[in-house]
Amino acid sequence: MTRRISAAAALALAAALGAPAAAQDMFTIGVSNTVQGNGWREQMICAIRAQALDSGQVASLNVAHRNTDAAGQLEDIRNLIQAGVDAIVVNPASPDALNDAIREATAAGIVVVAVDQAVSEESAFVISNDQEQYAYLGARWLFEQLGGEGDVVYMRGAAGASADEDRDRGFRRALEEFPNIRIAQEVFTGWQQDQGKQQMLDYLASGLPVDGVWTSGIDNVIVDAFLESGEPLVPIVGADNAGFVEQLLTVDGLVGAAVTNPGSIGGAGVTLALQILNGESPEERVVTVTPELWTNATEEGRARIEEARNPDLDPEWPVSVSIPGWTTYSMEEIIACRGPGE
Amino acid sequence: MTARPVAARPSVAIVAARHGWTLGLAVLLALLLALTKIIQPAFGATGLEALVRAALPFAFATAAMTVVVIAGGIDLSVASMMAVAGVTGAVLMQNAGDGAGALLAVGAVLLVGAAMGATNGLLIVGTRLPDIVVTLAMLFVWEGVALLILRAPGGAATPWLRELVVGPLVIPGLPPAATALVPQALLVLAVILAAIWLPLRRSRLGLGIYAVGSDETAAFRSGVSIGATKVAAYTLAGVLAALGGLSVTLATGIGEPIPGPYLLASVAAVVLGGVALGGGRGGLLGPLLAVFILRVVRLDLTLLAVDPNVTTIIEGTIMAAVVMAGGLLAMRERRS
Repeated sequence: MTRRISAAAALALAAALGAPAAAQDMFTIGVSNTVQGNGWREQMICAIRAQALDSGQVASLNVAHRNTDAAGQLEDIRNLIQAGVDAIVVNPASPDALNDAIREATAAGIVVVAVDQAVSEESAFVISNDQEQYAYLGARWLFEQLGGEGDVVYMRGAAGASADEDRDRGFRRALEEFPNIRIAQEVFTGWQQDQGKQQMLDYLASGLPVDGVWTSGIDNVIVDAFLESGEPLVPIVGADNAGFVEQLLTVDGLVGAAVTNPGSIGGAGVTLALQILNGESPEERVVTVTPELWTNATEEGRARIEEARNPDLDPEWPVSVSIPGWTTYSMEEIIACRGPGE
Repeated sequence: MTARPVAARPSVAIVAARHGWTLGLAVLLALLLALTKIIQPAFGATGLEALVRAALPFAFATAAMTVVVIAGGIDLSVASMMAVAGVTGAVLMQNAGDGAGALLAVGAVLLVGAAMGATNGLLIVGTRLPDIVVTLAMLFVWEGVALLILRAPGGAATPWLRELVVGPLVIPGLPPAATALVPQALLVLAVILAAIWLPLRRSRLGLGIYAVGSDETAAFRSGVSIGATKVAAYTLAGVLAALGGLSVTLATGIGEPIPGPYLLASVAAVVLGGVALGGGRGGLLGPLLAVFILRVVRLDLTLLAVDPNVTTIIEGTIMAAVVMAGGLLAMRERRS
């Protein structure tokens, strides 16, 4: 028994020696994220690391990054409070469920910035992509592209996720404007590539009439499903993921649109947190970054996509790796994914 | 003088053999807490409280898993049942208002838990399919039921119920400093589990659960009703899972239909806690200590700012190492 105890202690001690010592008048920033292994979230984490390093004001990052629920995120935020960080950048699993822990953090003098999705707690700041607008822009483009009539497959994100609910509101707002658009199938991809692709293959094999597809960012595999099954391509809406953006330029006969949803919002969160720590709070508690729509159906859109394409990126990574005015790192720095002290 | 140690030795050996694993876990937990204090000197009452509050859902999930594993089964639907209980509680509490209605809501959630657990048990006994197959299927069924009740996170939790697990324990007549280090949540957990577990262990049903898990044929020949005992064990697990789901809803203040990471965590704590996966052996205290150990490990890794992708590797390695060490110790004991 003593052997296993000493082994555990030695392991922890080794980790302790490896931890960087905090320099003075530099800040320590904690990060809490509850989805691991998803390209978008990984880019968000890398943007946080790169921006923290590039700012020169962050002594160390303390990243709690794992697959868990809101209760697990409460634990992570409280652990970060225990770690004595100066600010916490959080991608909230829920807009309301974290309020207790966030209040405890701000009461302890910690700056809390929610990125990507909003939190309702008033003492926290929010910098996020406008998810409702994200869905509305893409859906409206798709319905216009179809001439206001046809059967659409609606491929949502994860059931019960707040970003998915926000996007659903935007999608339905667009749907109301086009009474002759029908939803042929509504399905949750769980934001999983393999799952979304299989669902699409099943629809195509079943002979379901499909005039267009709206996806919640599981996009390049949907194009693959059409190509592999040999079915004629229909207009497809996706996000600005590198793989899909590449397809918009290279796949013959593909008409589509990419709506921007930068994972680099994480880096913007670090910038906002540092501004607040330095005494410059924003006028509004909630800062939103408005999405853009790029379509290969127009000359102008094609040029924009051409400019944004980046074959160096992982196909699941959004090509908008930076947000002007909010992030300062270079492309190489975010791909390297290195934070301070690493 | 010479006689005493000789007389004392066997009893110490018996205690050590019977509770050695649990004692070892308690020592490990104490060492980890001491280590936490070394890493973060400011670690104190609030840190302990956060730890216990984070452990609550894991503790109930683990208790649920412990009961069925001792009975020789396994319940893969534990996290999904928690989700159903959590959203049911959130919906009922939202409508129940602030008063005693909330207690009715809690009672209803426990009944729902019992019904889910009984369904699992009846299906296993009725179909004679392996426990793992039936509960795997029910994992998806209960997950769907939770989404039918609440499509997106919503509902509410009664504020005074939420307050029950917040802050340090206050005993009237004692100065607050005396109990400052004991979180209220720990008391709630201990009281609820003791009220369920202690009477159960001494009861006919409790003996039956151990007997069925240890050797079904022998249990049958000694007059234990196998089917009824299994259904009872799963029903109890359903109630405990419902308590876990409620604790999630009370922690977050809303109901979440997507199950949390409680299935694998509870199996891990059961194994780490010294309960034989084959059934029939082990208790509740070991798995509970294991729950706290796993939470403290997570806390320490966060405090040390260990790379998050390495964190899960370390967590898994520690678990494998501890269980393997336990296996080696057990083998050595058997040889001697």
